[in-house]
Amino acid sequence: MSIAPALSIQAPLDGAISSTTWGHLPGGEPVRLFTLRNGPGMRVSISDLGATLVSWQAPDRGGRLGEILLNHASPAAYLESAGYLGGLIGRWANRIAGARFTLEGIDYTLDRNEGGNLLHGGASGFHRALWDADDQDGALVMRLTSPEGDAGFPGNIAVQVRYALDDDGTLSIDYEARSDAPTPINLTSHGYFNLSGKPGTDIKGHILSIDADAYLEVDAKLIPTRASSVAGTAFDFRQGAPIGVRLDWPHAQLAQAGGFDHCFMLRETALGDGPHVRAVARLYDPGSGRELTVLTDQRGLQFYSGQKLSGAHAPRSGLCLEASAYPNQVNMADAEMVMLRPGAVYRQRTQYRVSVAGET
Amino acid sequence: MHRQPSEPSQHAQIYRIALLFNANKVYDREIIAGIGDYMRSTRVTWDLFLEEDFRCRLPGIERFDGDGIIADFDDPAVAEALRGCPLPVVAVGSSYEDAAHYPAKEPYVATDNGKLVALAYRHLIEAGLQHFALYSLPQAPENRWAQQRELAFTRLRRQDNPAVEIEREIYRGLSTSAPTWHQAISQLIEWLRGLPKPIGIIAVTDARARHLLQACVSAGFAVPEEIAIIGIDNDPLTRTLSRIPLSSVIQGTTEMGRTAAHLLHQMLGGARLAGRQILVPPVGINVLASSRHQPLASPYVMRARHFIRQYACQGIKTEQVADYVGISRSSLEDHFRRELHCTVHQEILRHKLDAARHMLASRDVATAEVAVRCGFTSPQYMHAVFRRELDCTPREYQERAIAESQS
Repeated sequence: MSIAPALSIQAPLDGAISSTTWGHLPGGEPVRLFTLRNGPGMRVSISDLGATLVSWQAPDRGGRLGEILLNHASPAAYLESAGYLGGLIGRWANRIAGARFTLEGIDYTLDRNEGGNLLHGGASGFHRALWDADDQDGALVMRLTSPEGDAGFPGNIAVQVRYALDDDGTLSIDYEARSDAPTPINLTSHGYFNLSGKPGTDIKGHILSIDADAYLEVDAKLIPTRASSVAGTAFDFRQGAPIGVRLDWPHAQLAQAGGFDHCFMLRETALGDGPHVRAVARLYDPGSGRELTVLTDQRGLQFYSGQKLSGAHAPRSGLCLEASAYPNQVNMADAEMVMLRPGAVYRQRTQYRVSVAGET
Repeated sequence: MHRQPSEPSQHAQIYRIALLFNANKVYDREIIAGIGDYMRSTRVTWDLFLEEDFRCRLPGIERFDGDGIIADFDDPAVAEALRGCPLPVVAVGSSYEDAAHYPAKEPYVATDNGKLVALAYRHLIEAGLQHFALYSLPQAPENRWAQQRELAFTRLRRQDNPAVEIEREIYRGLSTSAPTWHQAISQLIEWLRGLPKPIGIIAVTDARARHLLQACVSAGFAVPEEIAIIGIDNDPLTRTLSRIPLSSVIQGTTEMGRTAAHLLHQMLGGARLAGRQILVPPVGINVLASSRHQPLASPYVMRARHFIRQYACQGIKTEQVADYVGISRSSLEDHFRRELHCTVHQEILRHKLDAARHMLASRDVATAEVAVRCGFTSPQYMHAVFRRELDCTPREYQERAIAESQS
């Protein structure tokens, strides 16, 4: 790859990644915090503990920077927390029913860390691991190996996640994984957003739209049971709607999950072959003018309205828009789509773009 | 009065629904649009009853041979006429600080007055203002929402400053009528004169905000430098009636319509929703010139910009601005250089360019006409300015803007 000469005259701070030691693990290993900046002055901080999105400083309508991610103050607090704040989730994002699946005639039993289910990679998920990190052409590249038997999964896998921030305010997350034996895989990024820039306020006034005609209904253990049309329900976000209003619409699924914790079945695009990236959701905060656009090549988007947040973070003080395969897909009709086999590469591209909404 | 559905169809049951709104304002029309949205998004088949002029006539409503009603309860006569109505009714209207004001029987979808006022208030704070006021309406049974907005403003102000003299900050004025119009404006100006400056004023509607703008223009207060203004409703008609583009809070009206339709849909299916209230927050702010307050030190620059904002597109020159401000051209230029780092001419040109860009982007209009209407001496001159400032021709700018708006 050739580098355009123009790059060499850029101010050294733009595009450069700075890093500091943020704390230490109980075993003494240092935990680092990396900060990506863009031309207009946006800053995204990511830790090698869990490849975690720790901070995103983005300008509001008046150009003032504010924090739009929920976070903890120290690595120790992340290890104590059960909220998955900003974590890179693997080997399996979301739930696997009964913490079991069958692959090539073999039954596998996984860690059970939520009732009888596996949730977010189990107790030792990727979000708790210390990743290798380095700066490549202004992007932050993180690597992790997950050994065979990790949380009960087969195969040794090598995972790489590349974070890059551009001048439009787009954070691109490119995932890659390879395995030496067949294994299910499903990765996601679990950032809790609150675009107001005012920590502690609730997200009920945020306006959300999601490009999905259907979502997956869930049972009492939040395992998908069937696809259901969004039409005429609180789940119809095809036109933007304030989240708090939809939480108030009567619906048995909302009562069951205590709010939204559902996978939306994103509209597929009819173009070309194979998955490609399209804008699938938009979140807008009228107070600050900040807008978040989610783009992904994945088929599912889990919308979680933050009802189980506790401790330092009040319920509904942040929300998640997690792009991935369908929850429990490993036990559903399309299980083969989520299997990674030796010689193949798992890839995902998801982008979060933060801007100030156009005003007319 | 209850009746089997008129034509049982194999596909969907057809319900006859009456909408009781006085839909002569953008607020009511958007609620009705939201109801339409909901119908289109689902397979429900509703035969809607609406008066041809979209106004609501109550006599005879008790004989409406239908299945359900969505009604504007801000009008006490509507609430009264529906008392004892055996059909499912969903009420729409103002939120109330005191829950006792909500109807006991009907589910109620409200615009959240507390959040509307809070959004406007925080916007003015973030624009750098330190004094605030509210321009309301005389108390009347039809506009209880205006009093609710006063209560919300009072609560916010007292939170920030327990010693605030709230009576000085809220002004109700006179209601609009042709014979008292002049008097109303003079009294409004008197109130404005007594306020500390710079100040940010929230108007309880865009119509009220327009009076404020008129009063500011006739009394010579610079908007937004001395008085920043924000309305509520984001009414496009009001916007076209004032020279200074008006900032406004956008109510969640279409979502109110969708929510009311959804609740009625549930009730037609047998759900019992009595006593349920759903409050709908605002969905945005349209930030325009009237609240783009920038703290400025020089009163001359303030007055000059106020004049330029109103008349740039009429081909004014630096001389006329200096005349209006009442100082020499050279000292006005000095003030501009110090505060804005530009000349008076550049400031005028910037306004003309903004107006031309806006006009080109918003509709299919000939560039020659845009040049005339934005105060350029010739289309060639506008062409040259576009080339220099934006590196494209006016035509290219227009094509790009239209393509972007369609994508």
